[in-house]
Amino acid sequence: MGLLSRLSRRRRLEAEMAEEMRFHLEQRAADYAADGMSEEEARYAARRRFGNLRSLQESARDARGSRWLELVLKDLRLALRQLAKSPGFALLAIVTLGLGIGANTAMFNLVNDTMLRPLPYPESGQLDALYRATAQDPDGSFSPADFLDLQNEAAGYGEVAAYTMADASLSEPGRPAEIAEAARATASFFPLLGVQAQLGRVFQTGEDVPGRDRIVLLSQRTWQRRFEGRPDVIGRTIRVDGEPHQVVGVLPAWFNDWRHLGNVDFFRPLALDERKSADRRSLGLRVVGRHSSARPRAETDAFLARLGARLAAAHPEVNGGSTWHAVPLDSTVIGHDGPVMLSMLIGLSGLVLLIACSNLANFLLARTMARAREFALRSALGASRSQLLRPLIAESLVLALAGGAVAILIAVWFNQWVAVRSVGDNGEGVVLGLNWAVFAWAFAASLVTALAFGAAPALFAMRLNLNDTLKSGGRGSLGGRGHQRFRQALIVGQFALAMVLLAGAGLFLRGLNELISRRSGFESARLVTASYLLPAADYATPEKITEFHRRTIERLGALSGVASVGISSFTPFFHWADTRKFVVEGRERPEAGREPAALVNAVTPRYFETVGTALLSGRPFGERDSGDAPRVYLVNQSMARNLFGQEDPVGRRLALASGEAQTWGEIVGVAVDVQPPEPGETLTFQVYVPMAQEPQRGSELVVRSVGVEPSSLVAGVRAAMAELDPDLPLRKLASADARILRAHYQLGVLRDMLLAFALLGLGLASIGIYGVIARLMAQRTSEFAIRLAVGATVADVSRLVLTTGVRQAVAGSALGLMGAIVVARLIAGVYPGIRTDSPGILFGTTLVLVAVALLACWIPARRAARIDATLALRAE
Amino acid sequence: MKSRRGKHELLPGTLDLLVLRLLSREELHGWGITNKLELLSKSALQVDEGSLYPALYRMEEKGWITAEWRVTENNRRAKYYSLTKAGRRQLETETENWHSMSAIIAQVLREA
Repeated sequence: MGLLSRLSRRRRLEAEMAEEMRFHLEQRAADYAADGMSEEEARYAARRRFGNLRSLQESARDARGSRWLELVLKDLRLALRQLAKSPGFALLAIVTLGLGIGANTAMFNLVNDTMLRPLPYPESGQLDALYRATAQDPDGSFSPADFLDLQNEAAGYGEVAAYTMADASLSEPGRPAEIAEAARATASFFPLLGVQAQLGRVFQTGEDVPGRDRIVLLSQRTWQRRFEGRPDVIGRTIRVDGEPHQVVGVLPAWFNDWRHLGNVDFFRPLALDERKSADRRSLGLRVVGRHSSARPRAETDAFLARLGARLAAAHPEVNGGSTWHAVPLDSTVIGHDGPVMLSMLIGLSGLVLLIACSNLANFLLARTMARAREFALRSALGASRSQLLRPLIAESLVLALAGGAVAILIAVWFNQWVAVRSVGDNGEGVVLGLNWAVFAWAFAASLVTALAFGAAPALFAMRLNLNDTLKSGGRGSLGGRGHQRFRQALIVGQFALAMVLLAGAGLFLRGLNELISRRSGFESARLVTASYLLPAADYATPEKITEFHRRTIERLGALSGVASVGISSFTPFFHWADTRKFVVEGRERPEAGREPAALVNAVTPRYFETVGTALLSGRPFGERDSGDAPRVYLVNQSMARNLFGQEDPVGRRLALASGEAQTWGEIVGVAVDVQPPEPGETLTFQVYVPMAQEPQRGSELVVRSVGVEPSSLVAGVRAAMAELDPDLPLRKLASADARILRAHYQLGVLRDMLLAFALLGLGLASIGIYGVIARLMAQRTSEFAIRLAVGATVADVSRLVLTTGVRQAVAGSALGLMGAIVVARLIAGVYPGIRTDSPGILFGTTLVLVAVALLACWIPARRAARIDATLALRAE
Repeated sequence: MKSRRGKHELLPGTLDLLVLRLLSREELHGWGITNKLELLSKSALQVDEGSLYPALYRMEEKGWITAEWRVTENNRRAKYYSLTKAGRRQLETETENWHSMSAIIAQVLREA
């Protein structure tokens, strides 16, 4: 029976019982009246004869068995009244519990959503991400030829499909062009994932061949945002990269899941022509697979490894050293460092919860002790154990429910915060969902915490010696030595935990700031940057691209406030995604696959002075290094030193290790090493090539300002570019520093989370120490009064109070130092680029903690000055 | 137990037995049960009137008796109790118990 129907039934029975008894009383009274009593007398006599109506109704209720529910409700009502009587305590306890559980619930939600919840595809457990791992890239992608080999022999595994990510511009007459995050996928891709179009259709077999691939599948988001969700978009022709494409379908909304391909704006077929099909060098194909349910995992794994090894042996010059493996697609939502990071966050939020718990234990213990005399009295008057315990447990329940609700609010707020912080250029962000598991977690954790810390003091109260408590007068709350020591230990523990949180966050913060503000080999303060992608249709030849670059540099260079303009394939502050292998002229060629690899950036002549990358020797590129001039290179210092030692590399010649026909290019200069402000060991060999010799359609624009704020150039750059090509969408047009910050939003989110944990921990710990010291102060008022009476000064007494608290804070902080160092090591392990050794931070954190403890103890200590010895002693 | 006014208080546990017995003959409301008890015991039994009701509810909860609201001769609403099958069985057991118990007690009193 449900609670409500039970309650309504109870109400009905209650009314019936009253009516039945009234009937009886009236009949009896009528009898008496018939015997000659007055009406009044008769009524009284009937009452007397019947007995105590109230207690009879009570025992009648008992007889009915629905008593427990009533008792629970009564206890809860009583608990609410009790808590309402001390709203300060109630609020503190609820907020403490809510914050502690809330931090935990938010983290649980994060883990639940990223690690535990399967991707939305049907039977997603069978889906894998396939990787071609190399030493540099454990999650490496495949070349077209490798993928085709895999596809031909896929029977030993299951089914495979490939996709590749590439930005594309989307333009229509009369609308501003924009860059979209686009992907190309094989026709087998959507059937393999189990995705059907919501509108229209997905790609069909035979459409992923050259000539038939001018079709587009829109994501739900793009359909809504750019095409207003109109169904007549199917069949319409839109321009992608300047080429007309026909829209064939719209993907369902659930496909826009941030955990996999939710950021993709639209798909085109991945068409491999004859030349591309034979290409074993260009990587970039991402492969997903659905492994056959008939084959055990070990078998498919072994099959992939064998196939990978065979291709590595057959084509050592490109595949040497690569191995193939499959990873469940569900587990690819978070990166390699994800589990470590998430466990660390869960652990740290656990520390916050621990601090909150010990606070709660302290509050409830103090409250119980203050009521010890009341309990002793009630127990002496015959209250049973359960009668004493029930109201305490009911109070804990009320606190738990309220705290759980606060925790849910915090989790919701956290989700919104993450969504806002992570929103990308196309409006796609990390969307964390709440589900029942999160609610269950919040309330279960609250319940366990509140009961554990509510029932423990209650049991403690049970153990009290009745006699002693009653005899000790108002000071029944003093408690034994052990009890006192327990509460002091709680304070020490809190400060240790707060130290771990605060110092951990401090170390990370410092390391992160150092990393993000690192400008090694370039300057960013005066730069405005943007990226763009020239549509292949309009810029079909290298000459056209070069001509556009020339006009751009000329046009932007003429803007006032612009010092110089450069165009490059990558910015100096982000990873260069082009790795090539080189051989040196006149040297013995290393074994295939072992040639030195370098990151490559194609740049225009004035790029170096624009971004502030200094040349150590030689010359920058110039106008003479044009497309038909001899090939030239610039190398960075590390590469020069490593390959040529003390010799001057200028004048030596390099060639691509994988070039069909070896074309030698002269090294004309050496640049300093450029180290992007990114975590991880990024410093390697770097090679620059002249943009004119390798014109790139997708490029980065860098503009150096002089005399004006870089951000004030944004509007001018936008207008000038629109003049040059109105159909060309500019992307990420912003000052370099703003872009760097934006790119590190994940680290920023992490930093803010750690900071929030640290501040929460510190706040809770200071509330804790304040509470304990204040209570101590109140309990020892008469002792202090005696001290004052026999000659101690107010300062002596204040110092006594202060030192009690501060001693514990210092002891706790010292303990916490060790934990802080462990946390710092953990962070350093996940982000090798972040330095986390800083004695200054540890020292500063200790100072902060002690200062907070001093402040928290100082407020109650001040009261010592106000003790009136005579009054305090007379109150005894 | 003889009280000063010459009335007997009920032995513990016997109220159920008497009520079941009364209800085995006719349906009665609480007031009716009180009256019947006085009448049949020739006013020698002192029933704590109020305690009858908790006993009734307990037996109802146990399923020995059921109740139904009906209108009395005087046009008042009253709750009429009647015996269920389980109640009838219970009456049989309790009657047997009572007889054997009183026989045992009588025997002990005689022979001790």
